[in-house]
Amino acid sequence: MYFKFIALVFATTCAVFVSGHSYEDNRCKCVCPSPATVLNNTAGADRSPFMKSANVQPNKCNCESVILPRVGDQIKGREQEFCPRCECKYENRNTTIIKVVVIIVIWVIMLLVVYMGFLICLDPLINKRAKASYQEHTNEDDESTLGGPSQQMGARGNVLNRVTHQQDKWKRQVREQRRNIYDRHTMLN
Amino acid sequence: MQGESLRSSVGALEPSTGGPYIDHHPRALSRVECSVPSQALACCSQKLVKIVNLNDISGRVFVRGELPDYLRHNGANASNGRGAQSTSEDDMVDITAGLQQAAAASVTTPTSHGTFQLYEHGGRNSNASANSYTIAQYFSSSAGDAVLFSGMSGDDDIPGIGQYDDFHTIDWQRDIARDRMRHRYIVKKRQDSIWDLIKGAHDAWSGWVCVLLVGVCTGIVAGVIDIGASWMTDLKFGICPQAFWLNREQCCWSDTDTTFDTGNCSQWLTWPEVLGGQRQGPGAYIISYLFYIVWALVFAALSASLVRMFAPYACGSGIPEIKTILSGFIIRGYLGKWTLIIKVVGLILSVSSGLSLGKEGPMVHIASCLGNILSYLFPKYGRNEAKKREILSAAAAAGVSVAFGAPIGGVLFSLEEVSYYFPLKTLWRSFFCALIAAFILRSINPFGNEHSVLFFVEYNKPWIFFELIPFVGLGIIGGCIATIFIKANIFWCRYRKFSKLGQYPVTEVLVVTLVTAIIAYPNPYTRMNTSELIYLLFNQCGISNSDPLCDYNRNFTDVNSAIEKAAAGPGVYHAIWLLVLALVLKLVMTIFTFGIKVPCGLFIPSLALGAIAGRIVGIGVEQLAYNYPRIWLFSGECSTGDDCITPGLYAMVGAAAVLGGVTRMTVSLVVIMFELTGGVRYIVPLMAAAMASKWVGDALGRQGIYDAHIALNGYPFLDSKDEFQHTSLAADVMQPKRNETLSVITQDSMTVDDVDTLLKETEHNGYPVVVSKESQYLVGFVLRRDLNLAIANARRTMEGITGQTIVIFAGTGNQPLSPPPCLMLNRILDMAPITVTDQTPMETVVDMFRKLGLRQTLVTHNGRLLGVITKKDVLRHVKQMDNEDPNSVLFN
Repeated sequence: MYFKFIALVFATTCAVFVSGHSYEDNRCKCVCPSPATVLNNTAGADRSPFMKSANVQPNKCNCESVILPRVGDQIKGREQEFCPRCECKYENRNTTIIKVVVIIVIWVIMLLVVYMGFLICLDPLINKRAKASYQEHTNEDDESTLGGPSQQMGARGNVLNRVTHQQDKWKRQVREQRRNIYDRHTMLN
Repeated sequence: MQGESLRSSVGALEPSTGGPYIDHHPRALSRVECSVPSQALACCSQKLVKIVNLNDISGRVFVRGELPDYLRHNGANASNGRGAQSTSEDDMVDITAGLQQAAAASVTTPTSHGTFQLYEHGGRNSNASANSYTIAQYFSSSAGDAVLFSGMSGDDDIPGIGQYDDFHTIDWQRDIARDRMRHRYIVKKRQDSIWDLIKGAHDAWSGWVCVLLVGVCTGIVAGVIDIGASWMTDLKFGICPQAFWLNREQCCWSDTDTTFDTGNCSQWLTWPEVLGGQRQGPGAYIISYLFYIVWALVFAALSASLVRMFAPYACGSGIPEIKTILSGFIIRGYLGKWTLIIKVVGLILSVSSGLSLGKEGPMVHIASCLGNILSYLFPKYGRNEAKKREILSAAAAAGVSVAFGAPIGGVLFSLEEVSYYFPLKTLWRSFFCALIAAFILRSINPFGNEHSVLFFVEYNKPWIFFELIPFVGLGIIGGCIATIFIKANIFWCRYRKFSKLGQYPVTEVLVVTLVTAIIAYPNPYTRMNTSELIYLLFNQCGISNSDPLCDYNRNFTDVNSAIEKAAAGPGVYHAIWLLVLALVLKLVMTIFTFGIKVPCGLFIPSLALGAIAGRIVGIGVEQLAYNYPRIWLFSGECSTGDDCITPGLYAMVGAAAVLGGVTRMTVSLVVIMFELTGGVRYIVPLMAAAMASKWVGDALGRQGIYDAHIALNGYPFLDSKDEFQHTSLAADVMQPKRNETLSVITQDSMTVDDVDTLLKETEHNGYPVVVSKESQYLVGFVLRRDLNLAIANARRTMEGITGQTIVIFAGTGNQPLSPPPCLMLNRILDMAPITVTDQTPMETVVDMFRKLGLRQTLVTHNGRLLGVITKKDVLRHVKQMDNEDPNSVLFN
């Protein structure tokens, strides 16, 4: 139920984003010095370069096809001086991959945070109702207390219990790791 | 027998000789007198078996057809020993027959192993009558490990045999022997049916398929990390409202008109703009500052709490632990699923939080996790710890390959830095794995720059001979910075380990993040992503670079496109001051950051430190060349104007120097750096700097950062780089010491109760098996875990096992098999334990431990068992000889 809901929300979010605004995946990027520098022949007047991007064919990605149509009037016939100083590069990217990856990362983080909140807040409450003898995580001797009930439940042997058993096993392992690292400082210092 | 201690708790080391043991059991001679020569022969052939193993270990092809006769003879023994185990009788005749069979096998099918064909043969002859008990017994004791673990592929295998407990050391010899046996089984079965043939083919190519999968997964995961981290890093500054999943550069990607003045395009909104304010001004600055700090804290807190909650093993760089694991140590869960997930997510978060850390080291850990998980798809690797380490070596190579976009550098890194056992087969697989991983990451193209790293630069500038002097100088500076870093970081980690600070891991992360964010924001060079900083420093100043670092008084009017040297403008000097500040800040922050409980690596911070230092030196040399172009140093090459000094190259050399000093890599580092620059022209400068840095580092402090962390944590890592230079003997190191007795198991006279009592009263991980307590002649070695499992399994599956049942490990020719039935445990007995004599120098013993990957070796005197040396004893001894605390070794 819980997971179904998340999956549904996930699917709808994806659908919304896929239909949203789409960015170009190819560009020709040209970086040129500002025309004023070239034309005035004064070093250091206004040296700030500028960049033009355009969606053109890869073989058209050069100064003549990208820059000159836009700033040709400023250059006024001095293309031979201006163009050699432009750097043009054709670039590719894939926005779909970026989008999918970022959304997956957000979802994974959110799932983990929700699960962490569940383990911190709700799990102790549920377990306390289930068995009164629940011990706090930091207790050193709780392995036996946790191992006992899970084995009894395993006898009933349905899927849910097996999942619970696995979860208990995993929790024990994490607790052991935590003890090694945070309490005893025997590892990963 | 009871209460005897094989490996007692460590008291004072008393130099003990074999003396007291010689006369321990005067009655022993009466029984085994006649068989001493055959025992000697058995010992001899045991060693020969080990020679074969050694050859296999070192990766050389050893064709059985070329085996000398004595080895074939040994193979024959092995088969007969196998037969003897079922009926406990054997005959000399079998040996001859087996030998012929071996010869025939090696002639007809030179690729299949001769011993295997003998396998059945020995069984067929095993019902031959026993007329030579002693010889057969001792030949069966020379059966060799090859036979003993054949049950691996059988149906009646005891579950759990061959696995190891947490924090134990693996026995490479045993695991490799098991694998060889399994292989022979498959080769034999291959002729039976088509299905078995397919299974055999699957087994043969599973290694390549496994590394292929590891490479693909590593590439994908690396792509996810790169994209996620770059997006989340820019989230600290602003957002792209139309497509929130794009980072700043991608958001402005198709913007048609951008100037470099503002650095912003219209699509990208900074946080003050999102809140409705303006882009510039003090108010906007404060809001940006606050958002930066808050986001950094949120990311760091998430990362630290996820790590604490789900997978504490995901923290840190992971390379010291991977090194230890590859050297044959078991850390359960360290390469597990949760560690992988949390390490990936935590790495994205902690990189984005702006902490002074990198993602390259953890990438090695992530790749190793993938290697471990995927190896479970292939039982050949998943169930055999020694074989699994071959996959892990390849995975480590893939990790570096995607981290730096340097496949060859990754393979060399795996070879030089992390791997312990690296045969040629693993080299090729690593090469393939690194290639696949780099290819996949390159196809994902995470940065949109057609490369798999952000700071890829392309150079084609020559360097002049004089420049080697500043390069070596950079090496020295790098070595010094690295030593400062290592010493301070180890000091701080030790303080964290032993003080109350260690009890507040999440708080510590938050404090470090807060301080880093507050200090880092005002300085543009520390505010930006460290990878971008490295890219900026590596790059040469061209028209497309508007950073103050490139504020030269250049004349752009010349059509000549070469970037010539020019006088530095005020912007450059200002930038240098900021860079000096950034250097100090980065150094201090990295010292405090490396070791906090989030996933963090130190490749990127060290590269950044070195790049800053190198760039500053480079600008200095460049200005020297500009102001005094005619002094003899530059030998006239700088008088023409262009192609003289490139500060970016200095940054690269400096980065290599610091990284080399920190990690003590040499070859792999140079290869990684030149793969980053895409030019082989700078190999010599990089080599000079790496070498100088390593020398300075080695002179100032003995260990690299990873070795220092291994020592700090006390991992049982027997470094193959160090030499053992003391004159002690095996007898000085072995357990038990004088006045203590050795816990042994006899081969055919102990009851189940006796064994249980022994297991209860002692805590050793293994017990030697001897002929009898009086004679102490060695039969084999049995592991505690296997013994426990086997007895429990027998109690469960066999009937009539009581406390009085005799446990038989080997050779029961003279015992009646009448009730109570015996418990045959020959399957778990290692009948080819490596032995040394008590007078063997420790230098040799340590070498054997390193090169053969032993877990323990047995010490004999006059052919009789005297004691045991385990890897732990060796490590303790090494520590003691180096005047360090021997109890700091983490070990079971």
